[in-house]
Amino acid sequence: MRKLQLLMVALVLLTLTGGLVQAQDDPEPIVAEPGIELNMVLLPKTLGNAVFDEAHEGAIEAHEELENPGELIFNAPTPDNAIPGQIEIIEASITQEVDAIMISANDYEQLLPSTTKAMEDDITVVTWDSPVAPEGEDLFIAQVDFTEVGSVMADMALSILGEDGGQFAILSATPDASNQNAWIEAMQALLEEDEMYANLELVDIVYGNDDPDDSYNEALGLVDSYPDLELIMAPTTVGIAAAAKAMQDEELCGEIAVSGLGLPSEMQEFVENGCSQEFALWSFKDLGYLTYYVSYLLASGAMEAEEGVVFEAGRMGEYTIEADPNREEGLRVLMGPFSVYNAENLEEWAAEEE
Amino acid sequence: MQQPKRWARLKNWETLMFIILCVVVVGNLRLSEHYLDLNNLANIFHLSIEKSLVVLIMAFVIINGEIDLSVASVMGLAATVLAERYEAGWPIAAGFAMALVVGLVCGLLNGLFAAYMGIPSLIVTLAGSIGYRGVARILLEDNSVGDFPNWFTSLGQDGLIGPFPATIFVFLALFILGFVILQYSVFGRYVYAIGNNRAAAEYAGINAKQVKLTIFMASGLIAALAGAFYAARLGNVRANAAEGFELDIITIVLLGGVSIFGGTGTMIGVGLSLLVVLNLRNGMSLSNVDGNTQTSVIGILLILSVLVPNLFQLLQRLLPRVFSTISGFTNKGGAPEPKSQVSIHQ
Repeated sequence: MRKLQLLMVALVLLTLTGGLVQAQDDPEPIVAEPGIELNMVLLPKTLGNAVFDEAHEGAIEAHEELENPGELIFNAPTPDNAIPGQIEIIEASITQEVDAIMISANDYEQLLPSTTKAMEDDITVVTWDSPVAPEGEDLFIAQVDFTEVGSVMADMALSILGEDGGQFAILSATPDASNQNAWIEAMQALLEEDEMYANLELVDIVYGNDDPDDSYNEALGLVDSYPDLELIMAPTTVGIAAAAKAMQDEELCGEIAVSGLGLPSEMQEFVENGCSQEFALWSFKDLGYLTYYVSYLLASGAMEAEEGVVFEAGRMGEYTIEADPNREEGLRVLMGPFSVYNAENLEEWAAEEE
Repeated sequence: MQQPKRWARLKNWETLMFIILCVVVVGNLRLSEHYLDLNNLANIFHLSIEKSLVVLIMAFVIINGEIDLSVASVMGLAATVLAERYEAGWPIAAGFAMALVVGLVCGLLNGLFAAYMGIPSLIVTLAGSIGYRGVARILLEDNSVGDFPNWFTSLGQDGLIGPFPATIFVFLALFILGFVILQYSVFGRYVYAIGNNRAAAEYAGINAKQVKLTIFMASGLIAALAGAFYAARLGNVRANAAEGFELDIITIVLLGGVSIFGGTGTMIGVGLSLLVVLNLRNGMSLSNVDGNTQTSVIGILLILSVLVPNLFQLLQRLLPRVFSTISGFTNKGGAPEPKSQVSIHQ
């Protein structure tokens, strides 16, 4: 009898712990409760940049969706006063006792004294687009994994050139742009490693300095230098639009494709007239929306900034807080994936914009 | 026609600044419940302490009839030298001292070229501004240096008395020192005399070159001190530190009633103008006014401050009787006055 009892207790314990383990594997996502009053500040790098206005739109959408009776403040410094200006806005936000500050940082370290002070005052500090060092933030909302940019570009090249492959060239921003260089390196590494991309031949990398005229001329230069060129891949919104324009003006649109990272609003006409079949970018509107959701969850106390926490961000679905592979002891929420735009979904995009 | 002297004094530039300050303060009180928070009062000064320090010496430079456009670059170079030496293994105090020496040398160069070789200081210090920044960029390139010892960063970040950090008390001490030197010392009277009419001052036996060199060196030294404080406040240095600060600094000095042509202005006026600008910026920040608007407001204030007294002067000439009673604004300090009105302020 005793033994049986013990056995039963053990069995119960086992199922219980088993259940716990299972619960950890597949936890219920934390869902935001609407209507909590939180004053929140969206602080991008500078004023007057279209992508930050898009992020603001996304934040407004989330603000309204969550029926937050508090304020959503959008403020940024002028470009000539970038770092001291961000510090001033953070300090003013601390004085105003806001609940959350969402920062796209102009510097990885120089904002730390202010952001740490904000955190000591129980203000949620979430960075997006560009982080600060981990000790000065709760977590970072990364738009995409930077190594992923390489594979997205390789995939687009593959889908445009087909399995038989062909020659393509890269039109980048400046030679010392760290983002673009990292993306190109990631792509090159992939081309070498993966058999799938074996027939894609990268013939040249040129730099248009993110200047429309320079980029336009560099694109034409590529056409002259490589008669068999089939694709120009530009990992910069300025470069891709300039290259598409150049192909359009030279009536080469059927012969040489243009792809890379582009803004839908700038690329729409080139997709419609066939100069560009496909391009990619992350949505800054979604980035603003997701950032707002995360900050709301953290500031309302519904969620802690800890590795493994799963939450739901409205229309964007479930996300998990994870360790940031690029920053020691940093936490991130990886937004991803890229939006790849082509003729089909660009129409939808345009319809939504109107 | 004759106004009682006391009445005239009440209507001078300082009074105008004081009235504007009161308006700004009342406005801030109405706009934000947090304005009087002790932390905010500290922030008003703390977030612009480096510029405020340099404003003090810039008042001397401009009253003396010169300009120093290189101050922001000297600030950046000093911060860079401090960081670079620290990274090279020097104790931070030695790096600090080295930064001050570098500031003095920059000031010495400015002074030698401007005062002794007679090249206009606008050109000398413009060149200095480019050159000193260039050296800073060579030293640090695109790197940033941080992780300074705690005592150093707390100098610029932590409250010494309440939330007021040590740098604010350094500023107060230097303000009092500057006030006494400019308004009550022989050296101060030389500064005005040279600014008003250099030739006349030299005939009177004043060594103008020496006075100018001294002021340029002091400007370099104070700018370097401010640069080191900037490094302490941010806890981290890049070669572009303090870039563009010179314009704000000069704006505050001119708004304080110092004539760009030299010879007029007082330390009290400059102090009041500093309070006006800092409080205005703080109030606008607390009301979430964006950076572009903030800059415009300060710009408009500066234009008005030059325009209004000139307008009074013009109207006074056209309608002498009517406007003689409200002409006080133009009599002391303020707008660029004709050089012939030599008056040594005390």
